[in-house]
Amino acid sequence: MKTEKKSVQIAAKPKVAFFDFASCEGCQLQITNLGEGLLDILGAIDVVEFREAISEKWDKDYDVVLIEGSIGDHHAEERLKKIRARAKVLIAYGACACTGGVNGMKNSFELDEIRASVYGKDYKLFDSTATKAVHQVVKVDYSINGCPIYAPELVEVLKCALRGLPYTVPDNPVCSECKLNENVCMYERGVSCLGPWTKAGCNSWCVNNGNICYGCRGEVKNPAKNANDVISKYNLKPELIKAKFDMYNKCKEADNNGNRK
Amino acid sequence: MNYHIIMKDEFDGFIKKLAKKMKVCAPVAKGHNNFAFEEVTSAGEIALSYIPTILPPKKYFMPQREKMLDFDLTEGKPKDAANLEAPEMAIFGVHTCDLAGIQCLNMVFSEKPRDYNYILRKEKIFIIGLECNGYCDGHASCALVGSHYPNGGYDLFFTDLGDKFILHVGTQKGEELVEKMGLAKASPADMSALDRVREGKKHAFQNEIGVDPKKLPEIFAKGMDSKVWKDLGERCVSCGNCTNVCPTCYCFDMADTINLDMKTGSRNRAWDSCQFETFASVAGGENFRHERAERQRHRFYRKFKYPLDKFYRSFCTGCGRCTRTCMAKINLKDTLKALAAEHK
Amino acid sequence: MTEEIKNSNWKLRKGQIIAARQMTATEKWFDIKLDDGDLDHEPGQFVQVELYGIGEAPISVCSSPTKRGSFELTVRAAGRLTKHMHSLGKGDWLGIRGPFGKPFPVKLMTGNDLLFVAGGLGIAPLRSLINYVMDNRREFGKVDILLGCKTPTDMLFGDEIKEWQKRLDVNFSCTVDRTAPDWTGNVGLITSLIPGVTINPEKTFGVVVGPPIMYKFVIAELLKKNLPERQIILSLERHMKCGMGKCGHCQIDHPKNYYCCKDGPTFTYEEVKDAKKL
Repeated sequence: MKTEKKSVQIAAKPKVAFFDFASCEGCQLQITNLGEGLLDILGAIDVVEFREAISEKWDKDYDVVLIEGSIGDHHAEERLKKIRARAKVLIAYGACACTGGVNGMKNSFELDEIRASVYGKDYKLFDSTATKAVHQVVKVDYSINGCPIYAPELVEVLKCALRGLPYTVPDNPVCSECKLNENVCMYERGVSCLGPWTKAGCNSWCVNNGNICYGCRGEVKNPAKNANDVISKYNLKPELIKAKFDMYNKCKEADNNGNRK
Repeated sequence: MNYHIIMKDEFDGFIKKLAKKMKVCAPVAKGHNNFAFEEVTSAGEIALSYIPTILPPKKYFMPQREKMLDFDLTEGKPKDAANLEAPEMAIFGVHTCDLAGIQCLNMVFSEKPRDYNYILRKEKIFIIGLECNGYCDGHASCALVGSHYPNGGYDLFFTDLGDKFILHVGTQKGEELVEKMGLAKASPADMSALDRVREGKKHAFQNEIGVDPKKLPEIFAKGMDSKVWKDLGERCVSCGNCTNVCPTCYCFDMADTINLDMKTGSRNRAWDSCQFETFASVAGGENFRHERAERQRHRFYRKFKYPLDKFYRSFCTGCGRCTRTCMAKINLKDTLKALAAEHK
Repeated sequence: MTEEIKNSNWKLRKGQIIAARQMTATEKWFDIKLDDGDLDHEPGQFVQVELYGIGEAPISVCSSPTKRGSFELTVRAAGRLTKHMHSLGKGDWLGIRGPFGKPFPVKLMTGNDLLFVAGGLGIAPLRSLINYVMDNRREFGKVDILLGCKTPTDMLFGDEIKEWQKRLDVNFSCTVDRTAPDWTGNVGLITSLIPGVTINPEKTFGVVVGPPIMYKFVIAELLKKNLPERQIILSLERHMKCGMGKCGHCQIDHPKNYYCCKDGPTFTYEEVKDAKKL
């Protein structure tokens, strides 16, 4: 996704706020886990709201806001719109914010059915909508995909935002980075992995650590039309691959039939 | 140059002594019949019988990610410097296909304007080759391109003679090392044993596609519009595995990073792949290789046509890595056969 | 152990913007002075412009080497780097590598008639040659300049073009794809201007620079005029990332393995007619 260049002038030490919606807050945790890197970031920005780390609130406009989480009810939608109105630059970070993430699985069911199963017979008392990614509600200037975010990418995007430069989410498959890291291919281990269809940019973090790719950064823009060879080479079931993809990519269907640019 | 002998029971001592002098990298088993060049300190860690590693030794000559320039904007007028970190090292166990690959890269980066990052790294690397007495697996096509025999490109070259290795010394640097290690000269009997290995290879290694390699340039000259490329294009997933693992693919991208001080940073080189969709696109939006078929064709021409005209040699070394790693079963030998069949 | 590579070809020359002007909504002009002397380029060559911390982009030099002391670039805000470059102005520093590429064959053109055909931003690289020819006018025969652009407001170097129109030693015509209220000139594609030019195919060089789509039609018109293929000169566009014939990005799908940055960007039509795309 190409993010447009912002013409807004950002103050010397920009006021940055972090907000969370429907999420596990694990991406905030990634930021607090940055260690020394966090000190460098704090040298460049002024964090005015960050629930995981500070209790202060800010009542003026924000230079940059970072939004974590997906949008799953009317109240969240309104709150997000209010934040957007006060923010010069909005960064969606984490799979929930960028692609809907695992919360998108809700969209595989009839809304009332799933509400009833979660809240019981009085489910109508609890507001709930189909899951939306942040860009499906407000304009997003930058996206940092992934569950959780890959911290070095956050730093890169933040630097772009502070300089008013666009950031392009890599659109090559995860394999392209995985191979450079010289991992034994998961398929060679007899395990199916979503790397061949998932956007890179995470430095194949999961596979480096012995896990498969779950597709958390979203599907590449132009996946192979015909994956029959891959499917037959490794004896896969296409339904299984699709089901695995649904874990993180269900909200995509709301994006112009998945053809979001 | 000389031939020397090292007994198998002396081999561990050889690696240990070498590792005291410099970093030593050699093929190491990674499981699931995968191998990779990694740092070793003893012979026990080395997989002497291995199929081509996931990445070829090009990663030591042209690292996956490499800093080309440091810059500093603190004083308004920019300052920059090209700093290189390249410690001395030895690579042990380089097969003849990969030696050929390094030779190809040497030609590319020594051509003016020279790439000094590559050249200075190369000068720091001591190369020890290792002969394949038989095929690694059915994906190799080294006999087709003639890289199953050593054609230089090493300081020392090992051939397994059962209870010992015979070493060919390729350079003065190699000679000095062999003398320091006190290795015995090869006897006439050892030389005959080497001849027998080479003779045996004549039968074991045969042109893998049944097409005369001399005909390949002509086949490719006529093959721009072959339907073979369309077929590959329909199957390719554009993951870039084939180019990343290729010992002679050297395309790269350049990108800047700036530190959080927004004043200092660097320009960096990273491997790129002609298989990626945006590889040949320009800022205005035009993409000169939009289709996967065009990109796959380009890859093959960069191995079998263009370098033959420019450098008089095939840039396919027959290692078979691209076929092994392809997610979509795109097979180099089958592709060449299909292309040749069209021009019978 | 770190060693400095003093002769690294990645080192950048330092250029300072001494003048800048927004030409159209999407094009900006820059005059750049290097701190180590002249660029020493030839018409048709390009430079790599580095905005530190953002990256590099290849840009054609639009001034003639006969202009000394500084060189000029016309930059369309098309990509990440060029968009940012539009925010720069007088006094700002840039990194410069180059000049790179094969220039227009100026020596071969000596004594010949010249027909320049420029479409859109193609006028920028061509201007380096046109101005060179103007400054060495007596070395060349008849000079025709055909210029095409989308609308009158997209026309670049308007002041200079007025001067060209006034000159008696140059024939200048211009056309726009879409007209505007105060436009009194031609309307239509650039190809429509070619039949009106008389050329002596024996001793004329046609120099064509424009977007890829333009080449096919303009070349067809020139061939109709019996202009030999080797006397049709093009300047092709690719993304030259290194400028040194290595990174692979600018390679042209042609049996001859051309790198646009080293073997080009200028080619004769004879050289590149078998390319998959111009």
